[in-house]
Amino acid sequence: MRSGDFKQSYGELVALTDSRPVWLWSAILVVALIAAPYMLNSYALSFLIIILITGVGALGLNILTGYTGLISLGHVGFLVTGAYAYAVTVSKYGMPPIVGFLAAGIVPALASLVVGAPSLRLKGLYLAITTLAFSFIINTVILEARTLTNGARGISVQRPEIFGVSFDSDTAFTHLCLGFAIVTLFATLNIRRSRVGRAFVAIRDNDIAARVMGINLHAYKLFAFVTSAFITGIAGALYGIYLSFVSVEGFPFLLSIEALAILIVGGLGSALGAVLGTILIVLLPEATRFTFSLFSAQMDALFSTGAQELKSMLYGLVIILFLRFQPRGLVGAWHDIRRTWVNWPLRY
Amino acid sequence: MEYLVQLVISGLAIGAIYGLIAMGFAVIYKSTGLVNFAQGEMTMIVAYVAWTISTSISGNVFVVAFGAILAAILLGLVIERIVIRPMLGEPVFATVMVTIGLAVILRSSINFIWDAYPHGLDLGVGRDIIRFGNIGVRTGQIAVIATLLFLLAAIWAFFRYSKFGIAMRAVAADDRTALLMGISATRVHAIAWAASSVIAGIAGVFFAISYDISPAMFQLGLKAFPATILGGLDAILGSGLGGLLIGITENLAGGYLGSGMKEVAGFVMIVVVLMIRPFGIFGERDIERV
Repeated sequence: MRSGDFKQSYGELVALTDSRPVWLWSAILVVALIAAPYMLNSYALSFLIIILITGVGALGLNILTGYTGLISLGHVGFLVTGAYAYAVTVSKYGMPPIVGFLAAGIVPALASLVVGAPSLRLKGLYLAITTLAFSFIINTVILEARTLTNGARGISVQRPEIFGVSFDSDTAFTHLCLGFAIVTLFATLNIRRSRVGRAFVAIRDNDIAARVMGINLHAYKLFAFVTSAFITGIAGALYGIYLSFVSVEGFPFLLSIEALAILIVGGLGSALGAVLGTILIVLLPEATRFTFSLFSAQMDALFSTGAQELKSMLYGLVIILFLRFQPRGLVGAWHDIRRTWVNWPLRY
Repeated sequence: MEYLVQLVISGLAIGAIYGLIAMGFAVIYKSTGLVNFAQGEMTMIVAYVAWTISTSISGNVFVVAFGAILAAILLGLVIERIVIRPMLGEPVFATVMVTIGLAVILRSSINFIWDAYPHGLDLGVGRDIIRFGNIGVRTGQIAVIATLLFLLAAIWAFFRYSKFGIAMRAVAADDRTALLMGISATRVHAIAWAASSVIAGIAGVFFAISYDISPAMFQLGLKAFPATILGGLDAILGSGLGGLLIGITENLAGGYLGSGMKEVAGFVMIVVVLMIRPFGIFGERDIERV
């Protein structure tokens, strides 16, 4: 029986996990996810795709808000920039999709420098409102730059073909999203356990103390912005491809709230939390609809007429209830359950 | 020139509404230390209640005004009691996120309680036009500017001189010390929320008289953000003046640069202002002690 964690070297301390079963189960999960598109019907598959794409975006926001503690209310701005960067390079100028994905990362990253720079002087709520302002400004910029973005008409996007492999079918596209999600997950986990990640967390916990210890606040805050925007931009490109049409209306402000809800529900500052939160938040409206439809057909009708409103109400409720009763999110709950399981019948 | 004056005057009128909502933000911030992201939604709800009273009970101005103020006080108290008070002592981030959640809920509730169509609130006042030379001003516009100036003065004096106002500032500065001094933090919070809700409601009713109510009205809250930020979150006078400034800027941008610029003029302005003064024009600089 394991009686504690005894680490003898620094390498062991920062390893992704010290337990073989975790690797084993993760591998099984990946295999299951690869096999899933062949088993699921197209309705269930659409949820899987959305979970994977949203997961990438949530992991992106997690770097900024979860690790570094900078609240962003305007992440939908990076999402829409990424989607447009992909659409313009690939659909409009006919460049290969791989260039499109690079652009979808780099353009929001550059945009984030513009937002990040003034944000260095701002703290807390002032920063949140600046990012909010950014997301509105970027929408107007996109609508006004008609020659590049077709303005309000939007741009239609085809499923990509990379190195001769076509991702046209839903199955193949799921695999593409899965690939991006796994790479993003590993990237954020690795950032977290590196020097950079520790600097981020130090800034989040106490920025003055971090500065005293020699962390360059400006550089690291900007770095957090850039990384976060890069990842979020890629998620935006994937979402644009999934919708097969990129327009400003496709990326409503509610997505920013949804992203924050994901982080809060999952547990702020944890990659696992972002993943769990994504699954819960994406499936929540559907699960609620299903539960209510068991009771009456009238409820079902209400869901089809006011779907958008009910969805936002659910997000709001979930945010409030989690902050009130489980501020550490699903990850916190999971840790509690695991500890109880391991130590039972002892308390600790 | 006439065009310019007309733009400035209508800018002042809409700016006064932003200013009122921004004051609502500032009242809550100054007494509880949080930003209430649901301010725009509260404005909208009170305006809808006023409209319901005017169509179902009586269209008399005083009845509607009384009912709306009563509803606003109730709304503020209920929100404070159910949603905010349990969060007392939690980190500011958590409480602010709670108000965001609240905002989303209130926003969507409009479609379930009322409907998705725009309505006009016609009380038989505020739509007459007074002419100064060639320039026409609606009485509603004059009334809202006058209300803003009056409330600005009243609330500024309240925070500066009254005992309860000072208690509210004490709670915002440090709620634990304030508690030790014998100030009831819960009562301070409750009154701040009620007051802020009333101010928001007044803005909502004025907006409904001059324009229309619709489920998109919560965007007034987003527009009022630049106003509060411009003035500084903790500056009552600043937020009112910030509102007027944003209103004028927005209208001038809309008149000379196009409607796209009108939507974001305020936001562009705060990004620029915050780069130079990170705590707003009238805001007090936070001094951090370690």
